[in-house]
Amino acid sequence: MSNHLSDPASALETAPTGQSQYLFEAIGITKRFEDGQVQALRMINLRVMPGEFVAITGPSGCGKTTLLQMLGALDRPTKGSLLYRGNSIPDLRDPSRYRALEIGFIFQAFHLLPTFTVLENVQIPMFESHLSASERKARAAALLKSVGLSNRLNHFPAKLSGGERQRVAIARSLANSPSVLLADEPTGNLDSENAHHILELINRLHHEQKMTLVLVTHDMDIAQRASRIIHMKDGRIVADHQTGGARE
Amino acid sequence: MTFFTVVARGLIRRPVRTGLTVLGISVGIAAVVALVGISRGFSKSWETGMKARGTDIVVSNMGSSIIPKPFSTSIIDRIAHLPHIAATCGILVDLTSVENAQMIMVSARQWGGFSWNNLKLISGRMPRDAEEPAVLLGRTAADVLKKKVGDTIEIETGELSVVGIVDGDAWVENGSIILALPVLQKITGNAGKINAVDIRVTPSTSAGEVQLLCEQIDKLVPEARAVVASENITDSEVYRMAQAMSWGTSLLAVLVGVLGVMNTMLMTVFERTQEICVLLALGWQRHRIIRMVLWESATLGLLGGLAGALIGAVGVKILGMTPSLRGLLEPDLSVRLLAVSVAIAVGVGVVSGLYPAWRSSRLVPSRALQN
Ligand SMILES: Nc1ncnc2c1ncn2[C@@H]1O[C@H](COP(=O)(O)OP(=O)(O)OP(=O)(O)O)[C@@H](O)[C@H]1O
Ligand SMILES: [Mg+2]
Repeated sequence: MSNHLSDPASALETAPTGQSQYLFEAIGITKRFEDGQVQALRMINLRVMPGEFVAITGPSGCGKTTLLQMLGALDRPTKGSLLYRGNSIPDLRDPSRYRALEIGFIFQAFHLLPTFTVLENVQIPMFESHLSASERKARAAALLKSVGLSNRLNHFPAKLSGGERQRVAIARSLANSPSVLLADEPTGNLDSENAHHILELINRLHHEQKMTLVLVTHDMDIAQRASRIIHMKDGRIVADHQTGGARE
Repeated sequence: MTFFTVVARGLIRRPVRTGLTVLGISVGIAAVVALVGISRGFSKSWETGMKARGTDIVVSNMGSSIIPKPFSTSIIDRIAHLPHIAATCGILVDLTSVENAQMIMVSARQWGGFSWNNLKLISGRMPRDAEEPAVLLGRTAADVLKKKVGDTIEIETGELSVVGIVDGDAWVENGSIILALPVLQKITGNAGKINAVDIRVTPSTSAGEVQLLCEQIDKLVPEARAVVASENITDSEVYRMAQAMSWGTSLLAVLVGVLGVMNTMLMTVFERTQEICVLLALGWQRHRIIRMVLWESATLGLLGGLAGALIGAVGVKILGMTPSLRGLLEPDLSVRLLAVSVAIAVGVGVVSGLYPAWRSSRLVPSRALQN
């Protein structure tokens, strides 16, 4: 789905996009943390096509979250090149704008803001859009309806169950109609039933809105839902295969 | 929801801390309003008093005391011949406790001098002559002393009768006990002494000529200083010291306010580190985070300023109504002073928010993903 808020390229550094067929293209990226002791990513090469549903799995500490941070411009690689639609992510003129308009984040710990209602939490990313206050509110209400939370608009996050909180977070991630959803263990804090519902919801969004989905999980059952599974170990990609289409 | 909802939520999340911080600033601002208001009010009402009396120049020796030092009446003869002087009036003024009033102005005036002319009788009569043991009371003074015409009043060792209540057209005049010079000289043992000379210049004397006249008087009378009447009070060392102290105290109070707000804002930034990182991860621009912190601290300042201006104004009014200070204190609580105080408080808020805002802008969004 194209971004109705702005031309996606406007968030990017160089105007003539590289006309890349890939949504993400990582070439030899390495990430060392400040002390230099930890090498979280080693020579990662990765290409993601628009509309793909990619699951990233691997043992704890293998670099999954770190890779997601690179894709979302939350951090920059130490070495290598990382492109979004042919534009270098670390060189973005305005990484905030990229995060706001191109990327939707879903966190394991939900990370809702406790002093804001459900309806307000979903509006938070919309401050970076061109919507007026009333448009923001209407859009947030519509998004919450689509995740089945119309009856919770004025509740504070503390009053919600884990599953409900993650649904709010998903609605929030869709605030500015991003092209990509980056989800880091989105069901890690949920019981199996809630986890199931959340995954159904994410799956539905992926199919309905043709969003690219990169989902980190260490649960192979969840990974099987993706169209492609990437295995990581010690900061490297050790396996990368198609699953033959995501399950509906 | 607007950006200001975000700012308000930041302040409401810790209502007690926000309240205490606002209180902290308001105490400082109340001090500014009270101290500056009192000292400015003092000089302003002195000025109107001098205007009411028609005094253009005051010759006195304020030195470092509140009451000018006495000198010989003969000073008047030494300067009377100078050009531009229309009239002179010898004054012996004292600030002393009289009966139930702990501090009241006692103003003795040369009999027949022009400084009597502005007094309008409300009741009773003027003293009959220079020797009659009688006083006039300004209307506020009558109120404070609870005296009416026909009562007697004890000043130092003398027992005098109240013969009239007057309106002097100015707050200092109304707060004074007014009597003939020889009477006060006698009861205070100051025969032949005065401690001020009121001088009225001829009409159409220019400001430059008044200045020149002051210089001439200073040459002729080395034991005192001639000062333009409106500046007479501000010229005194005591007044200047009081002014310096009130500004010093205010500055200190403001500094304490800055530290209080900064502490609060640093705490709020630290405890919201995770949330700020989430905001950054969701695409909030750094300048929006900085603005959020600055608006929060500016709002703390504004609330503290408004509360402080109110507390200061009300406090000074109450202080002015206490028996011991009634008639002595007429603070200048002009809109301008209040507005300046509130503006100072907002400034305090913004300045205190700068460092916390800078800290918040240094946070990195990747921390949002680390659970
Ligand atoms: N900010 C940081 N500073 C130093 N080391 C870090 C930092 N973030 C991550 N690391 C290290 O980098 C490596 C990869 O971490 P990462 O969080 O990407 O792992 P992960 O695959 O997401 O693990 P998990 O499944 O436990 O979430 C780990 O060894 C971790 O300790
Ligand atoms: Mg992780």
